Amino acid sequence: MTETRTLPADLSAGELGAPGKSLWHRLEPTILGSASIVILLLLWEVLPRIITMKAGTKLFFTTPSEIVGTLWRLFSTGTIWTPLAVSASGFALGLGLAIVVGLPLGVLIGRSRTLNAMLDPFITAFNATPRLVFLPLVMLWFGLGLWTKVVIVFIGALFPILINTYEGVRNADRTLINVVRSFGASEWDVARLVVVPNAMPYIIAGLRLAIGRAVLGVVVAEFFGSESGLGVMMVQAAGRYQVDVVFSGLIVFAVLSLVLTWMVQLLENRLGRWRPQRAGGE
Amino acid sequence: MLDDAPRQSFAGKHRKVLLGLLAVAIFFAAWQAAFLVFPFNPLFISKPDLIANALVYILVSGDLLRDLAISAVPFLYGFTAAVVIGVPLGIVMGWRERVSYALDPIMTVFYASPLVALAPLVIVFFGVGVSGKAIIIFVLAVFPFIFNAQAGVRAVDPLLINVVRSMGGSEWDLYRKVIAPGVLPYIIAGARIAVGRGLIGILVGEFFAASEGIGYAIARFGDLFALDKMFACIFAIMVIAVVLTEGIRWAERSAFPWRVGQ
Amino acid sequence: MQAYIQGRNVNLTFRPPNRGPVRALQNFDIDIEEGEFLSIVGPSGCGKSTFLNVLLGLIRPDSGDVRMQNKPITGPGTDRAMVFQEFGLLPWRTVQHNVELGLELKGMAAQARHQVSQPLIEMTGLAGFESHYPHELSGGMKQRVGLARALATDPNVLLMDEPFAALDAQTRDLMQVELLRIWQTAKKTVLFVTHQIEEAIYLSDRVMVMTKRPGRAKKIFKIDLPRPRDYEMRVTPEFNELKLLIWNELKDEITV
Repeated sequence: MTETRTLPADLSAGELGAPGKSLWHRLEPTILGSASIVILLLLWEVLPRIITMKAGTKLFFTTPSEIVGTLWRLFSTGTIWTPLAVSASGFALGLGLAIVVGLPLGVLIGRSRTLNAMLDPFITAFNATPRLVFLPLVMLWFGLGLWTKVVIVFIGALFPILINTYEGVRNADRTLINVVRSFGASEWDVARLVVVPNAMPYIIAGLRLAIGRAVLGVVVAEFFGSESGLGVMMVQAAGRYQVDVVFSGLIVFAVLSLVLTWMVQLLENRLGRWRPQRAGGE
Repeated sequence: MLDDAPRQSFAGKHRKVLLGLLAVAIFFAAWQAAFLVFPFNPLFISKPDLIANALVYILVSGDLLRDLAISAVPFLYGFTAAVVIGVPLGIVMGWRERVSYALDPIMTVFYASPLVALAPLVIVFFGVGVSGKAIIIFVLAVFPFIFNAQAGVRAVDPLLINVVRSMGGSEWDLYRKVIAPGVLPYIIAGARIAVGRGLIGILVGEFFAASEGIGYAIARFGDLFALDKMFACIFAIMVIAVVLTEGIRWAERSAFPWRVGQ
Repeated sequence: MQAYIQGRNVNLTFRPPNRGPVRALQNFDIDIEEGEFLSIVGPSGCGKSTFLNVLLGLIRPDSGDVRMQNKPITGPGTDRAMVFQEFGLLPWRTVQHNVELGLELKGMAAQARHQVSQPLIEMTGLAGFESHYPHELSGGMKQRVGLARALATDPNVLLMDEPFAALDAQTRDLMQVELLRIWQTAKKTVLFVTHQIEEAIYLSDRVMVMTKRPGRAKKIFKIDLPRPRDYEMRVTPEFNELKLLIWNELKDEITV
């Protein structure tokens, strides 16, 4: 009597017996979520019309419709493309450098206890410190051009990648390493078969964090230390009380950040098909 | 069971810390020694000995402490506001599903946008005083509290809630005895993240509203090409940042040893 | 006449970084015949798993001689394969690719690997699950994958380190039957480490009892029960006699 099929252990009786959720239940989050956003936007739109504000305050107020109009104008007249390109290149270069440096370094630190112990104080110190504190220094060294941006973005994005890669590498299951070694794997095989696949989820998480930090880095570097770029455009607009332009810039940055994060999420999903799905994921 | 082997030496047990100290010492020594080979341009960079002197100077003259105190005021206001508003909001969001459904998308959008981009507006509107900076700090620091408080509430074991309810506990009892202790570690972790973001807020505010505070000091020293004092201030901020962040981490570990990383 | 696998005077001491040294094996001797099923029972920490790892080639003993077919063991090799207690499946690989792991490392091409892995998958009762990921499998099925993987490289010796310890009692009993069935077909030499005396008697030709740490071979029992063994044998008087004998040897090692 051989058993040929067993129910997977995680199939609970509850799943087999419970009735399906009603339509309302499944749609509720989306409906409530969208409703609140819509309400917020409406309120914002309507507020200046129903409340009379002091002339000073009115200068600062803008409405969603104005912002949309400005966005459209900026894109259709092409005013936005140059600053956007400048910002984007700073962002891409800084992030790219952070990956190129952070990934291998993270693997090295993960594998070598000595290296880990020696670099730990520096990593801790730089990770805790707001990178903005280095901006005046970086400006002194690199001027107001592209490289200041790149350096600030690099410092910000490096640490999530470095730390997460290191965590992922260190987390490699000892048993699995022994298993693979017992079948005759070389050190290189061990890295390829166990360490890297195991570290992947961590690396992806680090990448997501790094993107957020990189966007912040561009914005902040451009506020103070640049001649051109989207952030510069925003600062100048703020000085001229063009609040709608400021918000437009904010939206562009936000969209950039969201799109990239979403792409990383897609990558994560593709690479992570082997993982157990958590119920009610985030 | 145990054998005759020698006890581990001091160096063996504290290997990690010693290696770290060694690395730091090598770093500073190399930095200082580099200028035996390369020409030293004081307008461009500084040396550890000069920086140490500058550090002592700004400490003794009281300048450093004064600047730090000035920066600390808006930080405390903003940070406190972030806790007072963010934690309850996060708890409600975690506790009441509907509220979470409604507010999650808004929060995500806010969190994803680099809100620091609005800093110029805030300064222009509120002026270069304490209120402008406090608002920037608040906006940056509130989200870690909201999200972490929410996560903390969600992580509370429903079994515990049932236990308290079955013993006749009221809603208030639940908050006090089950939810609050469960959420506390998450909030402290959120504080750790919020501190970092708050520090960014101070610096942004001060770089813009260039009048006073430690951020302003750094920028000013840069303009004056007083590299040694500039490095000294940067170093001071690094120390503070590390002390705050690692201090909270250490407190987390000793108070909640069962919690692993966030 | 040399035994197929032979260990003489094996000594091994662990030196973990922050604690005192631990002597795992001391003057450990063992002889294993070709094609036999030998179980080792012993108290926790007595070094039985350690010796398995020495045979596997993952750990070197401090002193002593370990040979297989009169050649000293210096490292892992395809003539030996291990089935692990915690299964040790690569979670990011499907069942089929997990089974083929050893073949991949040997440099076999995909087509050839498939020809080896497919019949093994069927033999271990995993047909239809080739493309499943480990997290979708029950404990018993995971261990079947572990078994198939170990058999894929066609080793002469199977080393099994408490392979059924992580399974529930019913699955465990079934897996024991399965293991015997597969062993009769595959005809490997098996070294099986376990806590459970019943399991050891049921499966083996011989059972070795080890002392508590530092481990030595204490006594070896020959299991004269006929093969093929069926479940009913577990309640016969002969079986229980053996159980009592072995238990008497073992219990002195467990009490302090």
